[in-house]
Amino acid sequence: MQNGEIIFNTSLGGGYFHISFFAPEIAVKAAPGQFVHVRIADLRDRILRRPFSIEDADPARGSVDVVYKTVGEGTRFLSRCAPGAVCDLMGPLGNGFSPCPGEATPVLVTGGYGVAATRLCAKARPGGILLAGARSREDLLLLDDYRGFGYDVRVATNDGSAGAKGFVTELLKDLLAETPERKFAIRACGPQPMLMALAGMLPDAGYADAELSLDHLMCCGVGACFACVVKVRDGAGGWRYARSCAEGPVFKAGEVYTGE
Amino acid sequence: MAVDMQVVLGPLKLKNPVMTASGTFGYGREYQRYFDISRLGAVVVKGIAVFASEGNPTPRVAETASGMLNAIGLQGPGVEKFCTHPDYLPFLRSTGAAVIVNIWGRTVEQYAEVAARLNDEPGIAALEINISCPNVKAGGAAFGTDPALAAEVVGAVRRATRLPLIAKLSPNVTDISEFARICSGSGADILSLINTISGMSIDAYTRRPRIANITGGLSGPAVKPVALRMVWQAANAVSTPIIGMGGIMNGTDAAEFMLAGASAVAVGTAIFADPLAPVRVIGELEDFCRETGVEHVAELTRGLRV
Repeated sequence: MQNGEIIFNTSLGGGYFHISFFAPEIAVKAAPGQFVHVRIADLRDRILRRPFSIEDADPARGSVDVVYKTVGEGTRFLSRCAPGAVCDLMGPLGNGFSPCPGEATPVLVTGGYGVAATRLCAKARPGGILLAGARSREDLLLLDDYRGFGYDVRVATNDGSAGAKGFVTELLKDLLAETPERKFAIRACGPQPMLMALAGMLPDAGYADAELSLDHLMCCGVGACFACVVKVRDGAGGWRYARSCAEGPVFKAGEVYTGE
Repeated sequence: MAVDMQVVLGPLKLKNPVMTASGTFGYGREYQRYFDISRLGAVVVKGIAVFASEGNPTPRVAETASGMLNAIGLQGPGVEKFCTHPDYLPFLRSTGAAVIVNIWGRTVEQYAEVAARLNDEPGIAALEINISCPNVKAGGAAFGTDPALAAEVVGAVRRATRLPLIAKLSPNVTDISEFARICSGSGADILSLINTISGMSIDAYTRRPRIANITGGLSGPAVKPVALRMVWQAANAVSTPIIGMGGIMNGTDAAEFMLAGASAVAVGTAIFADPLAPVRVIGELEDFCRETGVEHVAELTRGLRV
Protein backbone atom coordinates (compact mmCIF):
# COMPACT_ATOMS: atom_id res chain seq x y z
CA MET A 1 0.00 0.00 0.00
CA GLN A 2 1.19 3.45 -0.69
CA ASN A 3 0.00 6.99 -1.25
CA GLY A 4 -0.17 7.97 -4.89
CA GLU A 5 -0.06 11.65 -5.65
CA ILE A 6 -1.81 12.47 -8.90
CA ILE A 7 0.74 13.66 -11.50
CA PHE A 8 -1.88 14.32 -14.18
CA ASN A 9 -5.51 13.37 -14.80
CA THR A 10 -6.48 14.25 -18.35
CA SER A 11 -9.57 13.67 -20.44
CA LEU A 12 -9.21 11.48 -23.51
CA GLY A 13 -12.73 12.45 -24.65
CA GLY A 14 -15.82 10.25 -24.66
CA GLY A 15 -15.81 10.00 -20.85
CA TYR A 16 -12.36 8.38 -20.77
CA PHE A 17 -9.53 9.67 -18.63
CA HIS A 18 -5.83 8.97 -18.29
CA ILE A 19 -4.53 9.35 -14.74
CA SER A 20 -0.95 9.04 -13.56
CA PHE A 21 0.03 8.45 -9.94
CA PHE A 22 3.43 8.92 -8.35
CA ALA A 23 3.80 5.52 -6.68
CA PRO A 24 7.39 4.32 -7.11
CA GLU A 25 7.08 1.12 -5.06
CA ILE A 26 4.21 -0.06 -7.22
CA ALA A 27 5.85 1.14 -10.46
CA VAL A 28 8.89 -1.08 -9.81
CA LYS A 29 6.81 -4.21 -9.28
CA ALA A 30 3.96 -3.76 -11.78
CA ALA A 31 3.63 -6.49 -14.42
CA PRO A 32 1.32 -6.62 -17.47
CA GLY A 33 -2.28 -7.42 -16.53
CA GLN A 34 -1.98 -6.53 -12.86
CA PHE A 35 -4.16 -3.93 -11.20
CA VAL A 36 -4.12 -1.24 -8.55
CA HIS A 37 -6.93 -0.93 -6.00
CA VAL A 38 -7.58 2.75 -5.50
CA ARG A 39 -9.20 4.54 -2.60
CA ILE A 40 -10.30 7.77 -4.17
CA ALA A 41 -9.21 10.86 -2.27
CA ASP A 42 -11.96 12.59 -0.27
CA LEU A 43 -14.74 10.34 -1.54
CA ARG A 44 -16.22 10.20 1.91
CA ASP A 45 -19.57 8.45 1.72
CA ARG A 46 -18.33 5.84 -0.75
CA ILE A 47 -16.00 3.61 1.17
CA LEU A 48 -14.98 0.90 -1.28
CA ARG A 49 -11.88 0.96 -3.45
CA ARG A 50 -11.97 0.84 -7.25
CA PRO A 51 -9.77 -1.65 -9.11
CA PHE A 52 -8.06 -0.41 -12.29
CA SER A 53 -5.81 -2.27 -14.71
CA ILE A 54 -2.32 -0.81 -14.86
CA GLU A 55 -1.96 0.86 -18.24
CA ASP A 56 1.66 1.90 -17.79
CA ALA A 57 4.32 1.77 -15.12
CA ASP A 58 7.59 3.65 -15.31
CA PRO A 59 10.05 2.65 -12.59
CA ALA A 60 12.41 5.51 -13.57
CA ARG A 61 9.73 8.19 -13.06
CA GLY A 62 7.98 6.26 -10.31
CA SER A 63 4.67 6.58 -12.12
CA VAL A 64 1.74 4.19 -12.38
CA ASP A 65 -0.90 4.99 -14.99
CA VAL A 66 -4.52 4.00 -15.40
CA VAL A 67 -7.07 4.66 -18.14
CA TYR A 68 -10.63 4.71 -16.85
CA LYS A 69 -14.11 5.56 -17.99
CA THR A 70 -16.54 7.58 -15.89
CA VAL A 71 -19.22 5.00 -15.22
CA GLY A 72 -20.45 5.85 -11.74
CA GLU A 73 -20.11 8.16 -8.81
CA GLY A 74 -16.58 7.01 -7.91
CA THR A 75 -15.05 7.43 -11.34
CA ARG A 76 -16.88 10.74 -11.89
CA PHE A 77 -15.42 11.99 -8.62
CA LEU A 78 -11.97 10.70 -9.63
CA SER A 79 -12.21 12.57 -12.93
CA ARG A 80 -12.49 15.83 -10.98
CA CYS A 81 -9.40 15.16 -8.81
CA ALA A 82 -6.61 17.61 -9.63
CA PRO A 83 -2.89 16.93 -9.81
CA GLY A 84 -1.45 17.03 -6.31
CA ALA A 85 -4.42 15.19 -4.77
CA VAL A 86 -3.43 11.94 -3.11
CA CYS A 87 -5.17 8.59 -3.49
CA ASP A 88 -4.33 5.51 -1.45
CA LEU A 89 -3.21 2.66 -3.74
CA MET A 90 -2.96 -1.06 -3.05
CA GLY A 91 -0.91 -2.94 -5.59
CA PRO A 92 0.23 -4.22 -7.84
CA LEU A 93 -2.42 -6.90 -7.25
CA GLY A 94 -3.52 -10.03 -9.08
CA ASN A 95 -1.88 -12.48 -11.42
CA GLY A 96 -1.13 -10.76 -14.70
CA PHE A 97 -0.37 -11.97 -18.21
CA SER A 98 2.58 -14.31 -18.63
CA PRO A 99 5.40 -13.19 -20.92
CA CYS A 100 4.88 -14.00 -24.57
CA PRO A 101 7.13 -16.95 -25.57
CA GLY A 102 9.96 -15.96 -27.93
CA GLU A 103 8.82 -17.93 -30.96
CA ALA A 104 5.20 -16.75 -30.89
CA THR A 105 3.68 -13.53 -32.22
CA PRO A 106 1.74 -11.66 -29.53
CA VAL A 107 -1.90 -11.08 -30.44
CA LEU A 108 -3.71 -8.75 -28.10
CA VAL A 109 -7.50 -8.82 -28.35
CA THR A 110 -9.29 -5.99 -26.60
CA GLY A 111 -12.74 -4.52 -26.14
CA GLY A 112 -13.35 -0.93 -25.06
CA TYR A 113 -10.95 0.30 -22.42
CA GLY A 114 -9.67 -3.27 -21.98
CA VAL A 115 -7.07 -1.97 -24.44
CA ALA A 116 -5.41 -0.29 -21.44
CA ALA A 117 -4.87 -3.61 -19.64
CA THR A 118 -2.80 -5.17 -22.44
CA ARG A 119 -0.68 -2.09 -23.16
CA LEU A 120 2.16 -3.27 -20.90
CA CYS A 121 2.21 -6.56 -22.84
CA ALA A 122 2.92 -4.58 -26.00
CA LYS A 123 5.50 -2.44 -24.25
CA ALA A 124 7.29 -5.57 -22.99
CA ARG A 125 7.11 -7.34 -26.32
CA PRO A 126 6.95 -5.01 -29.35
CA GLY A 127 6.00 -6.11 -32.84
CA GLY A 128 2.74 -7.98 -32.43
CA ILE A 129 -0.83 -7.63 -33.56
CA LEU A 130 -3.55 -5.63 -31.78
CA LEU A 131 -7.16 -6.49 -32.49
CA ALA A 132 -9.09 -3.63 -30.93
CA GLY A 133 -12.86 -3.71 -30.62
CA ALA A 134 -15.05 -0.85 -29.51
CA ARG A 135 -18.64 0.30 -29.61
CA SER A 136 -17.79 3.25 -31.79
CA ARG A 137 -14.92 5.37 -33.14
CA GLU A 138 -14.70 7.53 -29.97
CA ASP A 139 -14.28 4.42 -27.81
CA LEU A 140 -11.01 3.49 -29.54
CA LEU A 141 -8.12 4.34 -27.24
CA LEU A 142 -4.32 4.19 -27.18
CA LEU A 143 -4.00 2.86 -30.73
CA ASP A 144 -1.07 5.17 -31.52
CA ASP A 145 0.77 3.81 -28.48
CA TYR A 146 0.45 0.32 -29.90
CA ARG A 147 1.59 1.51 -33.33
CA GLY A 148 4.57 3.05 -31.55
CA PHE A 149 5.35 -0.43 -30.17
CA GLY A 150 5.39 -1.71 -33.74
CA TYR A 151 1.98 -3.35 -33.57
CA ASP A 152 -0.18 -4.13 -36.57
CA VAL A 153 -3.42 -2.50 -35.37
CA ARG A 154 -6.72 -3.87 -36.67
CA VAL A 155 -10.01 -2.38 -35.58
CA ALA A 156 -13.63 -3.45 -35.35
CA THR A 157 -16.49 -1.25 -34.15
CA ASN A 158 -20.05 -2.31 -33.46
CA ASP A 159 -21.44 0.58 -35.50
CA GLY A 160 -18.86 0.45 -38.27
CA SER A 161 -17.67 4.02 -37.58
CA ALA A 162 -14.05 2.80 -37.71
CA GLY A 163 -12.49 -0.37 -39.09
CA ALA A 164 -14.60 -3.43 -39.74
CA LYS A 165 -18.23 -3.35 -38.64
CA GLY A 166 -18.87 -6.03 -36.05
CA PHE A 167 -17.14 -7.76 -33.19
CA VAL A 168 -13.44 -8.06 -32.52
CA THR A 169 -13.87 -11.83 -32.19
CA GLU A 170 -14.47 -11.88 -35.96
CA LEU A 171 -11.10 -10.20 -36.53
CA LEU A 172 -9.48 -12.94 -34.47
CA LYS A 173 -11.26 -15.70 -36.39
CA ASP A 174 -10.05 -14.13 -39.66
CA LEU A 175 -6.48 -13.88 -38.36
CA LEU A 176 -6.42 -17.51 -37.22
CA ALA A 177 -7.91 -18.67 -40.54
CA GLU A 178 -5.60 -16.60 -42.71
CA THR A 179 -2.35 -17.92 -41.20
CA PRO A 180 -3.09 -21.28 -39.57
CA GLU A 181 0.59 -22.21 -39.51
CA ARG A 182 1.62 -19.20 -37.40
CA LYS A 183 2.00 -19.52 -33.67
CA PHE A 184 0.33 -16.80 -31.67
CA ALA A 185 0.37 -15.89 -28.00
CA ILE A 186 -3.13 -14.54 -27.39
CA ARG A 187 -3.89 -12.16 -24.53
CA ALA A 188 -7.28 -10.50 -24.11
CA CYS A 189 -9.16 -8.00 -21.97
CA GLY A 190 -12.60 -6.51 -22.52
CA PRO A 191 -16.26 -6.80 -21.60
CA GLN A 192 -17.56 -10.08 -20.20
CA PRO A 193 -19.50 -11.16 -23.35
CA MET A 194 -16.38 -10.71 -25.51
CA LEU A 195 -14.24 -12.72 -23.10
CA MET A 196 -16.83 -15.47 -22.81
CA ALA A 197 -17.00 -15.67 -26.62
CA LEU A 198 -13.20 -16.03 -26.68
CA ALA A 199 -13.29 -18.66 -23.94
CA GLY A 200 -15.83 -20.53 -26.06
CA MET A 201 -13.86 -20.46 -29.32
CA LEU A 202 -10.16 -20.47 -28.41
CA PRO A 203 -9.74 -23.95 -26.84
CA ASP A 204 -11.26 -25.53 -29.99
CA ALA A 205 -8.89 -23.45 -32.14
CA GLY A 206 -5.89 -24.89 -30.27
CA TYR A 207 -5.49 -21.92 -27.96
CA ALA A 208 -6.59 -23.25 -24.58
CA ASP A 209 -3.54 -21.44 -23.20
CA ALA A 210 -4.72 -18.02 -24.42
CA GLU A 211 -4.95 -15.66 -21.47
CA LEU A 212 -8.11 -13.74 -20.62
CA SER A 213 -8.36 -10.99 -18.04
CA LEU A 214 -11.74 -11.54 -16.38
CA ASP A 215 -13.15 -9.86 -13.36
CA HIS A 216 -16.30 -9.10 -11.49
CA LEU A 217 -17.41 -6.38 -9.06
CA MET A 218 -14.52 -6.34 -6.66
CA CYS A 219 -14.41 -5.48 -3.01
CA CYS A 220 -11.34 -6.40 -0.91
CA GLY A 221 -8.95 -6.99 -3.86
CA VAL A 222 -6.89 -9.61 -2.01
CA GLY A 223 -9.04 -12.75 -1.98
CA ALA A 224 -10.68 -12.34 1.40
CA CYS A 225 -14.29 -11.40 0.66
CA PHE A 226 -15.27 -13.66 -2.28
CA ALA A 227 -17.22 -10.90 -4.05
CA CYS A 228 -15.47 -10.94 -7.44
CA VAL A 229 -15.78 -14.62 -8.28
CA VAL A 230 -15.90 -16.02 -11.80
CA LYS A 231 -16.77 -19.56 -12.91
CA VAL A 232 -13.79 -21.75 -13.77
CA ARG A 233 -13.66 -25.44 -14.62
CA ASP A 234 -13.26 -27.67 -11.57
CA GLY A 235 -11.47 -30.46 -13.44
CA ALA A 236 -14.41 -32.85 -13.02
CA GLY A 237 -16.74 -31.54 -15.72
CA GLY A 238 -18.29 -28.90 -13.49
CA TRP A 239 -17.36 -25.47 -12.27
CA ARG A 240 -16.24 -23.66 -9.16
CA TYR A 241 -16.09 -19.99 -8.27
CA ALA A 242 -12.56 -18.54 -8.38
CA ARG A 243 -11.73 -15.14 -6.92
CA SER A 244 -10.74 -12.93 -9.85
CA CYS A 245 -8.67 -10.61 -7.63
CA ALA A 246 -6.43 -13.29 -6.14
CA GLU A 247 -6.64 -16.30 -8.47
CA GLY A 248 -6.96 -14.03 -11.54
CA PRO A 249 -7.75 -11.62 -13.04
CA VAL A 250 -5.91 -13.46 -15.82
CA PHE A 251 -7.17 -16.99 -16.50
CA LYS A 252 -6.33 -19.41 -19.30
CA ALA A 253 -9.11 -19.71 -21.89
CA GLY A 254 -9.28 -23.45 -21.20
CA GLU A 255 -9.88 -22.81 -17.49
CA VAL A 256 -12.88 -20.53 -17.95
CA TYR A 257 -16.24 -22.25 -17.59
CA THR A 258 -18.52 -21.23 -20.45
CA GLY A 259 -21.68 -23.21 -19.58
CA GLU A 260 -24.74 -21.87 -17.78
CA MET B 1 1.00 6.25 30.48
CA ALA B 2 0.82 2.61 29.46
CA VAL B 3 -2.71 1.44 28.74
CA ASP B 4 -3.62 -2.13 29.69
CA MET B 5 -5.34 -3.41 26.55
CA GLN B 6 -6.13 -6.91 27.79
CA VAL B 7 -9.76 -7.89 28.00
CA VAL B 8 -11.53 -10.92 29.44
CA LEU B 9 -14.82 -12.11 28.00
CA GLY B 10 -15.93 -14.93 30.27
CA PRO B 11 -13.72 -17.88 29.29
CA LEU B 12 -11.99 -15.91 26.51
CA LYS B 13 -8.94 -13.80 27.35
CA LEU B 14 -7.65 -11.49 24.58
CA LYS B 15 -4.48 -9.37 24.34
CA ASN B 16 -6.60 -6.47 23.10
CA PRO B 17 -10.29 -5.97 22.35
CA VAL B 18 -10.04 -5.64 18.54
CA MET B 19 -10.88 -8.57 16.28
CA THR B 20 -11.98 -8.98 12.68
CA ALA B 21 -15.59 -9.54 11.65
CA SER B 22 -16.30 -12.89 10.03
CA GLY B 23 -16.40 -12.77 6.24
CA THR B 24 -14.31 -9.62 5.90
CA PHE B 25 -10.87 -11.07 6.64
CA GLY B 26 -10.94 -14.34 4.73
CA TYR B 27 -8.94 -16.93 6.64
CA GLY B 28 -6.26 -14.46 7.75
CA ARG B 29 -3.64 -15.48 5.20
CA GLU B 30 -4.87 -12.88 2.69
CA TYR B 31 -3.82 -10.07 5.06
CA GLN B 32 -0.64 -11.47 6.59
CA ARG B 33 1.41 -9.56 3.99
CA TYR B 34 -0.14 -6.30 5.20
CA PHE B 35 0.49 -6.82 8.93
CA ASP B 36 1.27 -9.47 11.53
CA ILE B 37 -2.20 -10.83 12.20
CA SER B 38 -1.17 -12.13 15.62
CA ARG B 39 -1.27 -8.49 16.79
CA LEU B 40 -5.07 -8.68 16.71
CA GLY B 41 -7.17 -9.52 19.74
CA ALA B 42 -8.45 -12.37 17.59
CA VAL B 43 -8.88 -13.36 13.97
CA VAL B 44 -12.47 -14.39 13.23
CA VAL B 45 -12.47 -16.47 10.06
CA LYS B 46 -15.07 -16.67 7.33
CA GLY B 47 -17.94 -19.09 8.07
CA ILE B 48 -17.16 -22.80 8.05
CA ALA B 49 -19.73 -25.56 7.53
CA VAL B 50 -19.43 -29.36 7.46
CA PHE B 51 -19.68 -29.15 3.68
CA ALA B 52 -17.84 -27.09 1.04
CA SER B 53 -20.05 -24.50 -0.60
CA GLU B 54 -19.85 -22.30 -3.71
CA GLY B 55 -22.10 -19.52 -2.42
CA ASN B 56 -24.46 -17.27 -4.36
CA PRO B 57 -24.43 -16.19 -8.01
CA THR B 58 -22.86 -12.85 -8.97
CA PRO B 59 -23.06 -9.88 -8.60
CA ARG B 60 -22.59 -10.43 -4.90
CA VAL B 61 -21.93 -6.90 -3.65
CA ALA B 62 -23.18 -3.37 -4.22
CA GLU B 63 -21.86 -0.16 -2.80
CA THR B 64 -24.43 1.99 -0.99
CA ALA B 65 -24.32 5.32 0.83
CA SER B 66 -21.63 4.96 3.52
CA GLY B 67 -21.74 1.21 3.27
CA MET B 68 -22.30 -1.83 1.14
CA LEU B 69 -24.68 -4.72 0.59
CA ASN B 70 -23.42 -8.24 0.24
CA ALA B 71 -24.89 -11.62 -0.49
CA ILE B 72 -21.77 -13.74 -0.87
CA GLY B 73 -23.64 -16.80 0.36
CA LEU B 74 -20.96 -18.33 2.58
CA GLN B 75 -18.64 -19.73 -0.07
CA GLY B 76 -16.14 -21.85 1.78
CA PRO B 77 -13.91 -24.95 1.79
CA GLY B 78 -15.80 -27.01 4.38
CA VAL B 79 -14.49 -28.02 7.79
CA GLU B 80 -12.28 -30.92 6.72
CA LYS B 81 -10.26 -28.86 4.26
CA PHE B 82 -10.25 -25.95 6.72
CA CYS B 83 -8.61 -28.13 9.37
CA THR B 84 -6.08 -29.85 7.14
CA HIS B 85 -5.17 -27.64 4.14
CA PRO B 86 -2.08 -25.47 4.73
CA ASP B 87 -3.90 -22.29 3.63
CA TYR B 88 -6.40 -22.43 6.48
CA LEU B 89 -6.14 -23.56 10.11
CA PRO B 90 -2.54 -24.89 9.86
CA PHE B 91 -1.50 -21.46 8.54
CA LEU B 92 -3.39 -19.62 11.28
CA ARG B 93 -1.83 -21.84 13.93
CA SER B 94 1.64 -21.00 12.58
CA THR B 95 1.04 -17.27 13.09
CA GLY B 96 0.24 -17.59 16.79
CA ALA B 97 -2.97 -15.56 16.32
CA ALA B 98 -5.97 -16.17 18.56
CA VAL B 99 -8.39 -17.86 16.16
CA ILE B 100 -12.16 -17.76 16.40
CA VAL B 101 -13.95 -20.03 13.95
CA ASN B 102 -17.32 -18.85 12.69
CA ILE B 103 -19.58 -21.86 12.03
CA TRP B 104 -22.85 -22.37 10.18
CA GLY B 105 -25.14 -25.07 8.88
CA ARG B 106 -28.46 -25.64 7.23
CA THR B 107 -29.78 -27.82 10.03
CA VAL B 108 -29.23 -27.94 13.80
CA GLU B 109 -27.40 -31.25 13.33
CA GLN B 110 -24.94 -29.67 10.88
CA TYR B 111 -24.10 -26.92 13.39
CA ALA B 112 -23.43 -29.52 16.07
CA GLU B 113 -21.39 -31.61 13.66
CA VAL B 114 -19.03 -28.81 12.62
CA ALA B 115 -18.62 -27.77 16.26
CA ALA B 116 -17.77 -31.35 17.25
CA ARG B 117 -15.24 -31.66 14.42
CA LEU B 118 -13.42 -28.53 15.64
CA ASN B 119 -13.41 -29.62 19.27
CA ASP B 120 -10.10 -31.43 19.23
CA GLU B 121 -8.25 -29.12 16.83
CA PRO B 122 -5.50 -27.25 18.66
CA GLY B 123 -5.18 -23.52 18.21
CA ILE B 124 -8.83 -22.48 18.30
CA ALA B 125 -9.74 -19.86 20.93
CA ALA B 126 -13.52 -19.95 20.47
CA LEU B 127 -16.38 -20.76 18.14
CA GLU B 128 -18.78 -18.13 16.85
CA ILE B 129 -22.19 -19.42 15.76
CA ASN B 130 -23.63 -17.64 12.74
CA ILE B 131 -27.35 -17.98 13.36
CA SER B 132 -28.37 -15.70 10.50
CA CYS B 133 -28.52 -18.32 7.78
CA PRO B 134 -31.73 -19.98 6.64
CA ASN B 135 -32.76 -23.28 8.17
CA VAL B 136 -33.55 -25.82 5.48
CA LYS B 137 -35.56 -28.13 7.74
CA ALA B 138 -37.77 -25.32 9.02
CA GLY B 139 -38.51 -24.20 5.47
CA GLY B 140 -35.98 -21.41 5.25
CA ALA B 141 -36.72 -19.51 8.47
CA ALA B 142 -33.50 -18.05 9.82
CA PHE B 143 -32.20 -19.53 13.07
CA GLY B 144 -31.42 -16.06 14.28
CA THR B 145 -34.91 -14.61 13.91
CA ASP B 146 -36.95 -17.45 15.45
CA PRO B 147 -36.54 -17.62 19.24
CA ALA B 148 -37.16 -21.37 19.50
CA LEU B 149 -34.73 -22.20 16.68
CA ALA B 150 -32.08 -19.87 18.12
CA ALA B 151 -32.32 -21.64 21.49
CA GLU B 152 -32.17 -25.03 19.81
CA VAL B 153 -29.10 -24.34 17.69
CA VAL B 154 -27.12 -22.63 20.47
CA GLY B 155 -27.99 -25.47 22.85
CA ALA B 156 -26.96 -28.14 20.33
CA VAL B 157 -23.59 -26.47 19.68
CA ARG B 158 -23.07 -25.98 23.43
CA ARG B 159 -23.47 -29.72 23.97
CA ALA B 160 -21.08 -30.46 21.08
CA THR B 161 -18.15 -28.27 22.12
CA ARG B 162 -15.94 -27.49 25.08
CA LEU B 163 -14.67 -24.30 23.42
CA PRO B 164 -15.83 -20.85 24.48
CA LEU B 165 -19.02 -20.19 22.54
CA ILE B 166 -20.06 -16.93 20.92
CA ALA B 167 -23.56 -16.48 19.47
CA LYS B 168 -23.65 -13.89 16.68
CA LEU B 169 -27.03 -12.21 16.75
CA SER B 170 -29.04 -11.06 13.78
CA PRO B 171 -30.27 -7.45 13.87
CA ASN B 172 -33.26 -8.40 11.74
CA VAL B 173 -35.52 -8.87 14.76
CA THR B 174 -37.96 -6.65 16.60
CA ASP B 175 -36.46 -7.14 20.05
CA ILE B 176 -32.72 -7.85 20.27
CA SER B 177 -32.97 -8.18 24.08
CA GLU B 178 -35.10 -11.29 23.69
CA PHE B 179 -32.45 -12.99 21.53
CA ALA B 180 -29.67 -11.85 23.85
CA ARG B 181 -31.47 -13.56 26.75
CA ILE B 182 -32.31 -16.69 24.75
CA CYS B 183 -28.78 -17.25 23.48
CA SER B 184 -27.23 -16.56 26.88
CA GLY B 185 -29.71 -18.92 28.51
CA SER B 186 -28.96 -21.64 25.96
CA GLY B 187 -25.25 -21.77 26.72
CA ALA B 188 -23.55 -18.96 24.81
CA ASP B 189 -20.61 -17.57 26.82
CA ILE B 190 -20.43 -14.43 24.73
CA LEU B 191 -22.71 -12.56 22.31
CA SER B 192 -21.56 -10.81 19.18
CA LEU B 193 -23.65 -8.24 17.35
CA ILE B 194 -24.65 -7.05 14.91
CA ASN B 195 -24.64 -9.18 11.80
CA THR B 196 -25.62 -7.32 8.62
CA ILE B 197 -29.02 -5.66 8.25
CA SER B 198 -31.21 -7.04 5.48
CA GLY B 199 -31.43 -4.55 2.64
CA MET B 200 -31.78 -3.96 -1.07
CA SER B 201 -30.28 -1.88 -3.86
CA ILE B 202 -31.91 -1.26 -7.24
CA ASP B 203 -30.62 0.07 -10.55
CA ALA B 204 -33.57 2.15 -11.79
CA TYR B 205 -32.24 2.30 -15.36
CA THR B 206 -32.07 -1.47 -15.82
CA ARG B 207 -34.95 -2.03 -13.36
CA ARG B 208 -32.88 -4.78 -11.80
CA PRO B 209 -31.65 -5.48 -8.27
CA ARG B 210 -27.95 -4.70 -8.01
CA ILE B 211 -27.13 -8.05 -6.45
CA ALA B 212 -28.15 -11.42 -7.86
CA ASN B 213 -29.66 -12.58 -4.57
CA ILE B 214 -32.01 -9.52 -4.76
CA THR B 215 -31.62 -8.83 -1.03
CA GLY B 216 -28.37 -8.66 0.88
CA GLY B 217 -26.81 -7.62 4.15
CA LEU B 218 -25.99 -3.97 4.78
CA SER B 219 -22.73 -3.12 6.56
CA GLY B 220 -20.36 -0.21 6.97
CA PRO B 221 -20.69 3.18 8.71
CA ALA B 222 -24.33 3.40 7.59
CA VAL B 223 -25.33 0.75 10.17
CA LYS B 224 -23.35 2.06 13.13
CA PRO B 225 -26.18 3.89 14.93
CA VAL B 226 -28.39 0.80 14.69
CA ALA B 227 -25.55 -1.41 15.92
CA LEU B 228 -24.79 0.87 18.87
CA ARG B 229 -28.44 0.90 19.89
CA MET B 230 -28.64 -2.90 19.75
CA VAL B 231 -25.41 -3.41 21.72
CA TRP B 232 -26.74 -1.04 24.36
CA GLN B 233 -30.10 -2.88 24.53
CA ALA B 234 -28.42 -6.29 24.72
CA ALA B 235 -26.07 -5.06 27.44
CA ASN B 236 -29.06 -3.86 29.43
CA ALA B 237 -30.77 -7.23 29.02
CA VAL B 238 -27.94 -9.62 29.95
CA SER B 239 -24.64 -9.64 31.83
CA THR B 240 -23.08 -11.89 29.17
CA PRO B 241 -19.98 -10.26 27.62
CA ILE B 242 -20.60 -8.69 24.22
CA ILE B 243 -18.48 -8.26 21.10
CA GLY B 244 -19.79 -5.14 19.37
CA MET B 245 -19.56 -4.47 15.66
CA GLY B 246 -21.22 -2.55 12.86
CA GLY B 247 -19.46 0.17 10.89
CA ILE B 248 -16.39 0.60 13.09
CA MET B 249 -13.89 2.67 11.08
CA ASN B 250 -11.60 4.03 13.82
CA GLY B 251 -10.64 3.93 17.48
CA THR B 252 -13.34 6.36 18.59
CA ASP B 253 -15.99 4.17 16.96
CA ALA B 254 -14.56 1.22 18.90
CA ALA B 255 -14.70 3.21 22.15
CA GLU B 256 -18.36 4.07 21.47
CA PHE B 257 -19.23 0.37 21.16
CA MET B 258 -17.44 -0.41 24.41
CA LEU B 259 -19.22 2.43 26.20
CA ALA B 260 -22.53 1.08 24.89
CA GLY B 261 -21.76 -2.24 26.56
CA ALA B 262 -19.24 -4.21 24.50
CA SER B 263 -16.18 -5.87 26.06
CA ALA B 264 -14.53 -6.24 22.66
CA VAL B 265 -15.18 -5.07 19.12
CA ALA B 266 -14.84 -6.33 15.56
CA VAL B 267 -13.72 -4.39 12.51
CA GLY B 268 -15.30 -5.57 9.25
CA THR B 269 -16.20 -3.54 6.20
CA ALA B 270 -13.53 -0.94 7.08
CA ILE B 271 -10.92 -3.56 6.07
CA PHE B 272 -12.08 -3.26 2.44
CA ALA B 273 -11.29 0.46 2.51
CA ASP B 274 -8.11 0.05 4.55
CA PRO B 275 -6.48 -3.38 4.99
CA LEU B 276 -4.66 -2.00 8.03
CA ALA B 277 -7.90 -0.88 9.71
CA PRO B 278 -7.94 -3.56 12.46
CA VAL B 279 -4.43 -2.76 13.71
CA ARG B 280 -4.96 0.97 13.22
CA VAL B 281 -8.06 0.71 15.43
CA ILE B 282 -6.00 -0.99 18.18
CA GLY B 283 -3.57 1.95 18.18
CA GLU B 284 -6.29 4.58 18.01
CA LEU B 285 -8.25 2.95 20.83
CA GLU B 286 -5.11 2.92 22.94
CA ASP B 287 -4.55 6.61 22.12
CA PHE B 288 -8.16 7.35 23.05
CA CYS B 289 -7.66 5.69 26.45
CA ARG B 290 -4.44 7.62 27.03
CA GLU B 291 -6.05 10.94 26.08
CA THR B 292 -9.07 10.37 28.30
CA GLY B 293 -7.19 8.96 31.29
CA VAL B 294 -8.32 5.36 30.97
CA GLU B 295 -5.65 2.99 32.35
CA HIS B 296 -7.37 -0.26 31.41
CA VAL B 297 -9.39 -0.41 28.22
CA ALA B 298 -11.92 -2.69 29.95
CA GLU B 299 -13.00 0.31 32.03
CA LEU B 300 -14.80 1.61 28.93
CA THR B 301 -17.19 -1.34 28.88
CA ARG B 302 -20.70 -0.30 29.93
CA GLY B 303 -19.29 3.13 30.70
CA LEU B 304 -22.07 5.10 29.01
CA ARG B 305 -23.31 8.03 31.07
CA VAL B 306 -27.08 8.33 30.84
